[in-house]
Amino acid sequence: MGLIQDYSLVFIFFILPIIFVLQPLFLAKITKGKDETDLASLKRKKRLLYRQIKELEMEFDMGNVNDSDYQNSRNALKQEVSSVIAQIKSF
Amino acid sequence: MTPVAGGVALNLAFGFSILTVLTLSIYARNGDQRLFLTGQRLALGISFFVFLATFILTYQLIGSNFNIDYVARYTSLETPFIYKISALWAGQSGSLLFWLFILSIYSTITIIQNQSKHHGLMPWVIISLAIIQMFFLVLTNFVTNPFMPTDADFLVTNGNGLNPLLQNVTMAIHPPTLYLGYVGFSVPFAFAISALMNRDTSPLWIQSIRRWTLVAWLFLSMGIILGGWWAYQELGWGGYWAWDPVENASFMPWLTATAFLHSIIIQEKKDMLRIWNMVLIILTFTLCIFGTFLTRSGVVSSVHSFTASSLGPIFLTFVFLILVSSFGIMYTRRHELRSKRRMESFTSRESGFLFNNMVFVVMCFAVFWGTLFPVISEAVRGTKITVGPPFFNQINIPIGLILLTLTGIGPLLAWRKTGKQSLIRNFTFPILSGLIGSAIFLFFGLEGTVVISFSLCMFVTTTIFTEFFRGVRARTNKFNESIFTALRRMVSKNRSRYGGYVVHLGIVFMFVGFTGHAFDKEKEFSLKKGETEHVAGYEFQLINISEAERPNHYAWISELRVIDNKGRFITNLLPEKRIYFHKNPDVNRRQPHSELDIHSTLNKDIYAIFSAVDNENGIAFLKIMINPLVHWVWIGGYILIFGTLIALWPRKE
Repeated sequence: MGLIQDYSLVFIFFILPIIFVLQPLFLAKITKGKDETDLASLKRKKRLLYRQIKELEMEFDMGNVNDSDYQNSRNALKQEVSSVIAQIKSF
Repeated sequence: MTPVAGGVALNLAFGFSILTVLTLSIYARNGDQRLFLTGQRLALGISFFVFLATFILTYQLIGSNFNIDYVARYTSLETPFIYKISALWAGQSGSLLFWLFILSIYSTITIIQNQSKHHGLMPWVIISLAIIQMFFLVLTNFVTNPFMPTDADFLVTNGNGLNPLLQNVTMAIHPPTLYLGYVGFSVPFAFAISALMNRDTSPLWIQSIRRWTLVAWLFLSMGIILGGWWAYQELGWGGYWAWDPVENASFMPWLTATAFLHSIIIQEKKDMLRIWNMVLIILTFTLCIFGTFLTRSGVVSSVHSFTASSLGPIFLTFVFLILVSSFGIMYTRRHELRSKRRMESFTSRESGFLFNNMVFVVMCFAVFWGTLFPVISEAVRGTKITVGPPFFNQINIPIGLILLTLTGIGPLLAWRKTGKQSLIRNFTFPILSGLIGSAIFLFFGLEGTVVISFSLCMFVTTTIFTEFFRGVRARTNKFNESIFTALRRMVSKNRSRYGGYVVHLGIVFMFVGFTGHAFDKEKEFSLKKGETEHVAGYEFQLINISEAERPNHYAWISELRVIDNKGRFITNLLPEKRIYFHKNPDVNRRQPHSELDIHSTLNKDIYAIFSAVDNENGIAFLKIMINPLVHWVWIGGYILIFGTLIALWPRKE
């Protein structure tokens, strides 16, 4: 019984992990499209830019940014976000 | 689980780490996804075997298997359960395994969290983490293996037991917290190296590591504060920070990490300081490894350090390799890293951040120099020079006050440029409050640095509340919200900003506590039962000296009655004189220890140490210290943690 228990533990803790690790090597070749990752990063970029616009609005409301700086920065950010959205749409 | 299985698990983890690096390096060249999946799983495999080895060692510690040298050295049959677990990080080899264990937790989380994200970055992130794991696996497999059998030709029936100084609940929490901080910086470092390898200069990777950096920073801060708390509660010298080399070793990465947390905001928002951020994260991680080197090499003498060992040169080589390889890669990517944007004005938030970064780095250099000077002096001139608290205080108090000032100035500056009118409007009220504070403190007879520090605390506090007030006012005006709704929404929509302000408030509280040190008073005396002594307006009467035998020590307990100068009862203090391993027939192995007692209030701490006892004549030798405002340091710590948690809380998109 002790021997079976020992072999079971060795199987669970040592052999199974090795099988788990090696399993993907026996799959058919997978090629992941680059598009998928690019799209995800563009979406994150869009979120980041939206967040920056919101923060800029808040700074303006608090009186930390003057009118011309606010308009310039907001326009620049909006242009950037528009180009990101255009890139997302092209996927 | 036998100890052999622990050793095998560590061997396999080491093998897996080599395979991870190889597999993912090949994947980086040929892009075969099967290799990426295998590499990912190999990396998870490293962690699995490290978890297994850690579990087995803990199991042996709890089960008092004294056939393992490590278990016999750091536990005994009398060691309480909780300290049998904390013995895992009490010794050299166990603590290295524990380092590896935490790194494996972080590595597992990083891999699982980014399974469908950062496909370009992840291979190099995993490679970097696996190389760090490999280094620690080399140490635990071949240099200081925690599963080595006891080197004795007889049956070991009991172990040495844990050092009494480590038999303290804070000490059971402090090292893991500190390690969580130290090791945590491996993840942002791995992302930085990966971004360099991929020539990814966009601020997106910065966004992914901000949270990791905050987590590591929070744990490092908590570790440092808990270390101070432990020193204050346990070491019996009445302070919480002594500029000890190992304390400094944790403080240096904290300084560069704090600078990094500020400067990544600029890269995220303005895409500037790319090179500077790389330098800061590389320095932070290197300083974490360097700190581990300081603790383990025996080159510095410290209350925290392990005994001198052969680990020093190995760690130093690793530090050297990190610096050379990281800065080497950075040099080859210098053109991509160059930012296109420039600072527009001196009076902008960007320049405020940059200036605060410079001061943090200068402070880090001062601490580094003071810590290593004795070692360098000994190596060059053959004489060891001690660099003590006076040097560190003289250099760091002014720098600390400059940093405190910048904490107040930064939030008042606008991005890009702050106009003259805005400057006047934003600064008037905080400066006025600082000046009024100075006048009040001078009126009450305070002088010098104390007045400057308290006044700056008022200035910064006013800045923080002004920022909250203006934010709430802007929301109430724009959205017609109630004050509480505006405050809640404002904080929840800008967690990192307002969390940061709360952290600044915590720092202010800490500065108040640090400044209180200027008013410390102490007195040493002996008392017989019924006798009294006066210290700083308090009367201390020895009521009784009792004795108690506990499982792991013998204690003499002195009961001190404290009354103030108006005759009001304040408290009864019960400091103890303990002898650990009191049953050991070898008298030299019994360890005396003073367990102090503290009456703590917001205003001051009454700190009692029972230094020695004369049993025959019933005399207690005592030391009393009156430490004003220490409580503010701990409150500041709680506020800092709360603020960081606000900044860390996930936001709704």
